Amino acid sequence: MLEATLEQKYNYSVVRWFTIMSAVYLVVGALVGVYIASELAWPVLNFDSPYLSFGRLRPLHTNAVIFAFGGCILMGTAFYSVQRTCGVGLWSNKMAWFTFWGWNLIILSAVITLPLGITQAKEYAELEWPIDIAIAVVWLSYMFNFVMTIVHRKSSHIYVSNWFFLGMMVMITYLHVVNSLAIPVGLFKSYSIFAGVQDAMIQWWWGHNAVGFYLTAGFLGIMYYFVPKQAGKPVFSYRLSVIHFWALMFGYVWLGAHHLQYTALPDWTGSLGAAVSMAMIIPSWGGAVNGMMTLSGAWDKLRTDYTLRFLIMSLAFYAMSVFEGPVMSLKTVNALSHYTDWTIGHVHSGALGWVGMVGIGAIYHLITKTYHIEMWSTRLINTHFWTATIGTLVYIVAMWVSGIMQGLMWRAYDEYGTLAYTFAESVEAMHPYYAMRAVGGAIFLAGAVMMLVNVVMTILTANSQGSVEKARTAAATA
Amino acid sequence: MNSLADYFHTDWEAMTTSDWIGTILTVVIFLLMLGVYLYALRPKNRDSLESRKYIPLDNDELNNGENNGG
Repeated sequence: MLEATLEQKYNYSVVRWFTIMSAVYLVVGALVGVYIASELAWPVLNFDSPYLSFGRLRPLHTNAVIFAFGGCILMGTAFYSVQRTCGVGLWSNKMAWFTFWGWNLIILSAVITLPLGITQAKEYAELEWPIDIAIAVVWLSYMFNFVMTIVHRKSSHIYVSNWFFLGMMVMITYLHVVNSLAIPVGLFKSYSIFAGVQDAMIQWWWGHNAVGFYLTAGFLGIMYYFVPKQAGKPVFSYRLSVIHFWALMFGYVWLGAHHLQYTALPDWTGSLGAAVSMAMIIPSWGGAVNGMMTLSGAWDKLRTDYTLRFLIMSLAFYAMSVFEGPVMSLKTVNALSHYTDWTIGHVHSGALGWVGMVGIGAIYHLITKTYHIEMWSTRLINTHFWTATIGTLVYIVAMWVSGIMQGLMWRAYDEYGTLAYTFAESVEAMHPYYAMRAVGGAIFLAGAVMMLVNVVMTILTANSQGSVEKARTAAATA
Repeated sequence: MNSLADYFHTDWEAMTTSDWIGTILTVVIFLLMLGVYLYALRPKNRDSLESRKYIPLDNDELNNGENNGG
């Protein structure tokens, strides 16, 4: 009866579709990732086609995993948890569907334009100006609906997960609009209004904060709602979550400059970025510990609840990557690590380990709650957990070894002061690690396919049993 | 760099309006953040803040986590 009440009271339909699409996009994004990783190991896979070249498919991969998978799960979870924590349905169902269709059309436009080489060439902001405007409009509809739902809430307090979601929405609006300011010279071509080092600084102010606010604050919003829900226990310390939130909001905006060490940017700017990066370890670890300690006294749940395993493992990767990042931002470490595959390894420990796993945990939770049914195969969730974990580890270990080796080869001098290795020799030395990376990615992709199969079979079972319809009807007659 | 004083030397005359606005805003926001820390950590506010952590569980009688993988 409770399920029926919830189905009737809240808008679960749009949440269901965002969740399904996020499962689909994870497979698509990871598939493109595995393909381009294979291209680096075996360049013959380019097939001499510009549409399949690494330079065009790489932004398609990043856009698919960040904005398609990440965006859909952020929108689905935000729309779900804001209703549940505020005790009211979404402010506007029509606007929520506008957000859903608008976001998916933007993704479709990325799938078409990026392989055609239509790009602004700004990392994580490649899409051309008409699509940028569409992103701003759809994103604002998402934020406006979220804010208005909070305004009409029945609870007196705004739960912390909503603060994290809201922080992301406000900052991403600001970052996206400023970084995308450009002068159009045609429908598919524009030039940034910023130039030189200012352009680089604005780009990495956006770039790092896409990580900081979109992939961290937004996904922490997921963590602060879904870990307690899945564990059936409240978060370990609410006060710590408040401090975690404000420290992140204040600290993250400073970090972008650490991407530009040893460049034309003033030296102090990079130092400041690195100093604040180091300081950010404290609140970030505080948040990770807060999430993990939510299981305090109930660790046995991890033996049987595979969805919870994803959520807790994601926090372990979060803790690891928020330590590794600041260390890499230090100038002495950066001199070795920058421009090498170590950066790629770091990004993927955050992307696969943190963002991927917390998102996957949320997908499994949402499918069971919004379809009012258990997952089709719990064994498959367990297999997915191990493939995701092993795939991530294989990937990042390959990139750590490859990156450090690259850095050492590039800086090695012989007794006459000339470079010990040519660039081509360093590329040749990377081959086994690039193959290993492709294998790690393929293992992770296999897990994502298992999840999609499990999600589809669960939905088919729910449809055959009419679980959603029963909940709707029961609520109507209740 | 001869001394700490040299390290922290600032050419105040060269500060533009934008520099001042940015500096003042940064300091004010930093102080506000410290204010939030003091509020959150004040023992008097502990019970009222910690009571909020039950919000996600309050309206849901389902036994989450027990049936999804066992």
